[in-house]
Amino acid sequence: MLVISLALALAQSDSFTAGLDAFRRGDYVTAEKMLNTSSDPRAATYANLARAATGGCDSVRDGLAQQLATQADAETRRAAGLGAAQCYVAAERFESALPILARLRRDYPSDADVLYLTAKLHMKAWNDALFGLYRNAPSSYRVNQISGEVFEMHGRFAEAAGEYRKAIEKNPAAVNLHFRLGRALLLESNSPASLDAAAKEFQAELALNPNDAVAEYQIGQILTARQKPAEAAERYKRAAAIDPKFVEPLIALGRIRTAEKNHAEAITLLERAVASAPKSEAARYNLMLAYRNAGRREEARKQQEELERLQKPPEGEFTEFLKRLGEKTPGKTPEKTTKQ
Amino acid sequence: MIRLAVLVLTTAASWEPAFVNVARDAGLAHVFPNGGPTTSQPTKKYIIETTGSGAGLFDYDNDGLLDAILVSGDGGTTRLYRNEGRSRFKDVTAATGIVAPGWGKGVCAGDYDNDGFTDFVITRWGSSILFRNAGGKRFHNVTQAARLETGPNRYNTGCAFLDYDRDGDLDLFVANYLKFDFTTTPLPGANPYCFYRNAPVNCGPRGLPFDRNILFRNNGDGTFTDVSDASGVSRPAQYYSLGVLTGDFNRDGWTDIYVACDQTPSLLYINRGDGTFSEEALLRGAALDEHGKALSGMGAAAADTDGDGWPDIFRTNFSDERETLYRNRGDGDFDDATAAAGMAHNTRFVGWGCGFFDFDNDGWKDLLLVNGHVFPEVDRLPGDIRFRERPILYRNRGGKFEDISERAGPAIQERRVARGAAFGDIDNDGNVEVLVNHQNEAPGLFRLRERPAANWVLLRLRGVRSNRSAIGAQVRITAAGLTQSDEVRSGGSYLSQSDLRLHFGIGGARKVDRIEVRWPSGTKQMLDNQPVNQVMEIVEQQVK
Repeated sequence: MLVISLALALAQSDSFTAGLDAFRRGDYVTAEKMLNTSSDPRAATYANLARAATGGCDSVRDGLAQQLATQADAETRRAAGLGAAQCYVAAERFESALPILARLRRDYPSDADVLYLTAKLHMKAWNDALFGLYRNAPSSYRVNQISGEVFEMHGRFAEAAGEYRKAIEKNPAAVNLHFRLGRALLLESNSPASLDAAAKEFQAELALNPNDAVAEYQIGQILTARQKPAEAAERYKRAAAIDPKFVEPLIALGRIRTAEKNHAEAITLLERAVASAPKSEAARYNLMLAYRNAGRREEARKQQEELERLQKPPEGEFTEFLKRLGEKTPGKTPEKTTKQ
Repeated sequence: MIRLAVLVLTTAASWEPAFVNVARDAGLAHVFPNGGPTTSQPTKKYIIETTGSGAGLFDYDNDGLLDAILVSGDGGTTRLYRNEGRSRFKDVTAATGIVAPGWGKGVCAGDYDNDGFTDFVITRWGSSILFRNAGGKRFHNVTQAARLETGPNRYNTGCAFLDYDRDGDLDLFVANYLKFDFTTTPLPGANPYCFYRNAPVNCGPRGLPFDRNILFRNNGDGTFTDVSDASGVSRPAQYYSLGVLTGDFNRDGWTDIYVACDQTPSLLYINRGDGTFSEEALLRGAALDEHGKALSGMGAAAADTDGDGWPDIFRTNFSDERETLYRNRGDGDFDDATAAAGMAHNTRFVGWGCGFFDFDNDGWKDLLLVNGHVFPEVDRLPGDIRFRERPILYRNRGGKFEDISERAGPAIQERRVARGAAFGDIDNDGNVEVLVNHQNEAPGLFRLRERPAANWVLLRLRGVRSNRSAIGAQVRITAAGLTQSDEVRSGGSYLSQSDLRLHFGIGGARKVDRIEVRWPSGTKQMLDNQPVNQVMEIVEQQVK
């Protein structure tokens, strides 16, 4: 009896192994057949994946989603999750794909396949929504706004500014358009003329939304560049009052107080900034200098250590590069190597 | 006293400069290649094509006139030109025995053997070359005999002679950018470090392996010893080093070294006076920008820009970044004063060679920087960043800088791909000229069309106990109530060598009230009531 059980177990194990081999070869029909005869707990997931690969997504996606929760083997669980998410994305059931990918990202945060699929999902959702916007509301200011944002992403700041201007023309009362226009102008150029034009836009944004801390801060930055520290300080104070968690105005104000040799106030402001944003390199750096200027060398050194910790390049940065070198042989064109 | 100085200098302040490029007329018409773009190669495939090369002005034959050197990238010739007088230069490369093939990068000069003739080093990809000056007539490549040879993949960039141990002879500092190898460096677009604004471009420096800086101690017998480890110079490990600037930034009598670094924090090696250096740029406030971020530093220059007697540091950076002016707080600690000094708006330029020079002779050091991008691809991208760019000229108005580039004459409007820039008075008329190395084009020689109506003095220092070139000597001059200070430096700018003499504009002052020299040996020397508008030689006083 024991011999028969062992033989059966081996046969089942063999059918799982053979099914998996067929799956890996891309012979999904054979794989599904063999996996369905196996009692290996992982077999059902791979059989579902084989079915999905042959156009059967609709019939297996819910099962795969369930197996993400129930499979004991981590690799099989990951495969189930990826299969389920892919099937939902293909069916444009983004709302079902999202929680699966969220769970996968939690369990496998550095997994390239998981990250790729997540990016693909968001890209597809973005494209669908964008298409809907252009098709259903082509004359809306939102079309110009989103066109401006796309231009910005591609570094085409002059064109972005043009789209924001059109959007403002269509809806002068919409918030955030003047801000984005001002920012695009600054990204295009920091010439005195651009600074003037951007300042006007940030001011216009504040007229629509007096509680826009970032617009206040941006005006402060422009005033700082124009060497008007007293006026800039007032802007930074207002920005910090509007949004106490926004640390940049505290840092900028701290710098102004440092330049005025008002070390005590500079340190107070910058300590607040560090407390609010302990990972802010700008806050740490300026607090370090403020301590140094006040003669508090030991505290400055402590901030220096913290800053150096924050600025340490991520582990493996260069190792990753070497790996990539192996992937792409110098002397070949990027196009060729990509295809390989 | 200060009010009097302002009155005296008014004449100089109302005058407007017009710089013209006289390189061709001066006989400086050779083209200095540095990779692409050319007709056969439309872009720059490797980073090594982007970082060269330097320019130099020094008097190799002791005839009192500055000669010129221009360093070439691969496929060209590094050339030495003799100043024949009347602003004419003659190519004497072959006649003087100079052969420096390959990827030349920088140049720095100094009389390392104290024989009275200025020697020089060409830094290169591969080993740098030390050229010993034999009586102002020939140069001999003595690299091997001097034990200065380094490995084949070393990417040597900025260099400077300095007497870091104050033993009376010049030591040599050489910055290293990274480890470069054509066979392993990926091509444009090969990985995320090979893109600029989504366009595939040459890779690096991020993603390419770091290297370490080198310090060679002069043994006093014609040879050098690599003391990089013993001195602590090689300790900083993850930096892409380019321009080198020496100076006694904390005024303790020992020469420190500032290194402009690309995409990594810049370095400030503080000389401890015991043969070692400690790297202190971060806490001293000269490593990062005001947001605590590392910029892409290229060249560096020093001057007392605000008249407080302490040397400030200026650094050129990449596009989308500002230039950086670090003001010395009076103890070798620095504040980022870029915006406060009026310099925060030029963000479209990639800056390289730079130098403080008093073009209007008003007693305040002005600033010129030369520009040019590293990616020819930027011309196909939207925005205001271009491959060829004009220089930037700032006029120093009592410590605040005014950008006068657009009204400073045709030379300042020329768009080139500039790198090294050397500053010096080539005709001893009291006005400083600027020699600029342009990639794949003839160099520029900028001079004023009309001279300002202001007085000046040009000091040539000769060390006796100190090194013969007087490198490291600190000078303070007082005229009409205004005190200025400067220091004799080898290297500086971007991989370049400027005049070893010190130029001071003194406005309407009719005499120099006092000249104070602090020699590297520690000797202090004073001269009172000196005449103006002259090249003056000061020999180190022998103290018994």
